[in-house]
Amino acid sequence: MENGNILDLLHKAVEKGENLGVNFIEARYDDLNLTTINYTNEIIKQSSSLSRKGIGIMAYYQGTPGYSYTPELTLEGVKEATIRAAKLAKSTDSRNKIKLDFDSIPTIKEKIEVKVKKHPKDFEFADKLDMLKRGVTAVKEQLEVTTTIGLYGEIYGEKYLVNSEGTELYWVPLMVDIRMGGVVISEGKQSQGFTGWGASTGLEFFEEKETTPEITGTNAGTYCKEQLEAVAAPSGKTKTLVSPQMGGVVVHESFGHLSEADFVVTGQSPIADRVGEELGSEHVTIIDEGVSPYGGLYLPYDDQGIKTGRTVLLEKGILKGYLHNRGTAKKMNSELTGNSRAINFMFNPIVRMKNTYFEKGDLTFEEAVEHVNTGVYAVDMSGGQVGLDGNFMFNCSRGYLIENGEVTKPIKNTALSGNILELLKYVEGGTKEVTIKTGYFGGCGKGGQGGLPVGFGGPDMIMDKVLVGGAQ
Amino acid sequence: MTLNEIRDKILHIADQTIKYARDLNIPAAEAYVYNLSNTNLTDNKGKIDSRDGLIQGIGLRVAIGKQVGFASCTGFEKETIKSTLKHAHSIANVSPKNPMFNGFVAGTNVAKEGILDPEILQLDSDSMIETCNLMSQEIDLSDRRLVSISYGVNFSYGGYAVATTEGCLASSLVTTYAANSFSVVTEAGDRKTAGDFVQGREIKPVEGISSNGLKKALNSLGSKAFGGSEVLPTVWEPRESAAFLAFSFINCVSGSSYVEKSNPWGDKLDQQVAVKELTLIDDGQNPESEAGRAIDTEGSPKQTTTVIDNGILKTFLFDKMFGEAADKATTGNASRGGFFGGIPYENVPNVEPNKLLIKEVGKNLDQQISEINKGILLTGTPIGLFTSNQITGDFGITTNDAFLIEKGEVVHPLKNISIAGNYFETLNDIRTIGSDREVSGWPIDAPAITYNKHTISD
Repeated sequence: MENGNILDLLHKAVEKGENLGVNFIEARYDDLNLTTINYTNEIIKQSSSLSRKGIGIMAYYQGTPGYSYTPELTLEGVKEATIRAAKLAKSTDSRNKIKLDFDSIPTIKEKIEVKVKKHPKDFEFADKLDMLKRGVTAVKEQLEVTTTIGLYGEIYGEKYLVNSEGTELYWVPLMVDIRMGGVVISEGKQSQGFTGWGASTGLEFFEEKETTPEITGTNAGTYCKEQLEAVAAPSGKTKTLVSPQMGGVVVHESFGHLSEADFVVTGQSPIADRVGEELGSEHVTIIDEGVSPYGGLYLPYDDQGIKTGRTVLLEKGILKGYLHNRGTAKKMNSELTGNSRAINFMFNPIVRMKNTYFEKGDLTFEEAVEHVNTGVYAVDMSGGQVGLDGNFMFNCSRGYLIENGEVTKPIKNTALSGNILELLKYVEGGTKEVTIKTGYFGGCGKGGQGGLPVGFGGPDMIMDKVLVGGAQ
Repeated sequence: MTLNEIRDKILHIADQTIKYARDLNIPAAEAYVYNLSNTNLTDNKGKIDSRDGLIQGIGLRVAIGKQVGFASCTGFEKETIKSTLKHAHSIANVSPKNPMFNGFVAGTNVAKEGILDPEILQLDSDSMIETCNLMSQEIDLSDRRLVSISYGVNFSYGGYAVATTEGCLASSLVTTYAANSFSVVTEAGDRKTAGDFVQGREIKPVEGISSNGLKKALNSLGSKAFGGSEVLPTVWEPRESAAFLAFSFINCVSGSSYVEKSNPWGDKLDQQVAVKELTLIDDGQNPESEAGRAIDTEGSPKQTTTVIDNGILKTFLFDKMFGEAADKATTGNASRGGFFGGIPYENVPNVEPNKLLIKEVGKNLDQQISEINKGILLTGTPIGLFTSNQITGDFGITTNDAFLIEKGEVVHPLKNISIAGNYFETLNDIRTIGSDREVSGWPIDAPAITYNKHTISD
């Protein structure tokens, strides 16, 4: 569909909604292309090319939202979706006790294109498969594995937004990712190694020194091999050095979600109404950012057309603010933070994170390990869960013992758990280098919207009293 | 549009798509046509969000001999379908041969379809508001311990059709209804959560959901620290029992992980993998379950399969391709998207359970508790279940929803504890399998179960 036609359809939706008596309309169009290759045991287990195209209409009536979506890119289809969205907003208003209306902001007319050296759309499927083959070869060079896994993912496309303020926004999301893994199940031995990351760039990302398929495959094989000789992790509260990716996940999952203002305005978050309170040690500063100097996800605007900025959530332990959409920002008399995001046109934007990370500290890595002296170095994880009470549990899939101020033996898979609001008080420092990770695989899940690309990271952080759970 | 009209529409689109494939000289193709209307409303402490729409699209597999390509598109627009077919064909052209692939499902063979409730098509936002009103009438908002209470209502109707160049043309429809409530309570610095729900293929009464959830949360207040680390028996309520077993069983019963040699039970066929009291059935034919369907997502008839019989592993679950790779027939377990979500038409078939059921045996929850001298009762879904190691079976989870049991009595709620162990060892160390299986939101329904020993720490 031509750009002009899309904008015309979106403007028609806005006009239709306003004629139906609602106060504000946001009309979004997504045209996203996703390619995934699952290369397991050197067979393409799944290769897919997905075209995800449609329009979503958000109607606001007296601060009550209603959302409807359609894959039918016709005037009739869009008008029907607008009628449904308006009806949802109006008919549910009587029960809505938390009205989230918002103030007008200046009209935005912007078209953002991203220039990359090797856009994935310009390369063949075979080129992408070849990268996985190279990675698998590297895995197999490390050890004899039962199963090899190679995953490639890419997403690119176009996003449009038109609203009642006359805003017309266009931008192009982009993400590429490669993951490699090896599994050994043999003669009573069981181990697995899995690693890799993505980036909001073109395929040139896989030519960089640390992220070539060969290096990723070598790392996966090495980690799998290490697991065969891993020792049990200590059990109990342990001083722990957490890597950027591990600490990034902790800060995203356990603190970041609590700072999302939709949980705050309903009082569900345990950090609601606590701005100005000391929630962490002086070593803890937490940032959420759309476009970060440390890399990660590239997100210039959110799905309400708000330019993303740098939000300080926690500064030297003091709670400074929350993450907002337009409605929660007005409700809480806060600055707009650009955190209203939707995974695709089938979902309404909700408050989500962007790139969330711990700010850097002033230690070298060696100083940090020496400070821990005896404990655990938690490097990588394979998932985690948190509760609304601040409790968290992450599975440390790669970690090492720290003994006498040195990183020593690999440890078996173990759980790291605790309560984030307790743990932040026991942060004892961080290193000088910040890394932010992102990717096509994984992503953030909330409100039924799973797999939303986000960034997370930080420096290596020293945390005391982390509950390391191993079986006796 | 009526349910019959929806069925006619998706069958027509599927049939047309195969005709387009033939027009394009594509040697073999499969069309998975998906059309589901979904409406959702949530009320979080009075903050209302509502959403509706049509999830509609086609997943297309194209094969050139053993080379297979997949592409999908949203909507049913003719030119888009044709271009997606061409795209899948081009991917197949450059894909290496998949030695396991031996063609798409041939012919039409359907099993029993589940219940369809036409009343669900009449629901709208007004009826969802009415349901929330009913649920909230049960709650005393003046209780100062209540931090927040949320309600949710969801209904959907529609289905999918599968057509192949080998002559399969079949469909399956579904109607679903779900309502839930979730409470957050606090007292003297203690913060607890709990909820309850109903779900099924028909409209369900919602009475008792919100009050049950709130009561459960309030009963958990006043928790005390466990204090130390100890190996103890654990007793799991039925829904929590299902949650505990779900993640491990999904991989262990999978025929795809068996063929790919990443299944820790890969060498355990006809061997004991659990206590002899444990029988595990995969049920794709329960008319009241969403999983009870006429066909799976590649067009094979669904069925009921006994996976573990009195502790002995009898079979894995298969779709067509992985079944043939293991010299077995499909068990009707081709799933797209699956339990962990995803838009079905954007996925190729993968092996997943329909609905696993642990056969009920002896004692209910209260009887199991009465037999524990010292142990832990689990009343909520622990955090971390889905990060357990599926290969080694090691798990380490944490929960704020547990009680101490002493001398056969529930003594007091506990502050956050961690529970660690190994799935494969604990399945062979079950003390009691209960008689009180409940419908859960997980891919497995289970009764209350007591395990002899897990490591408890705080």
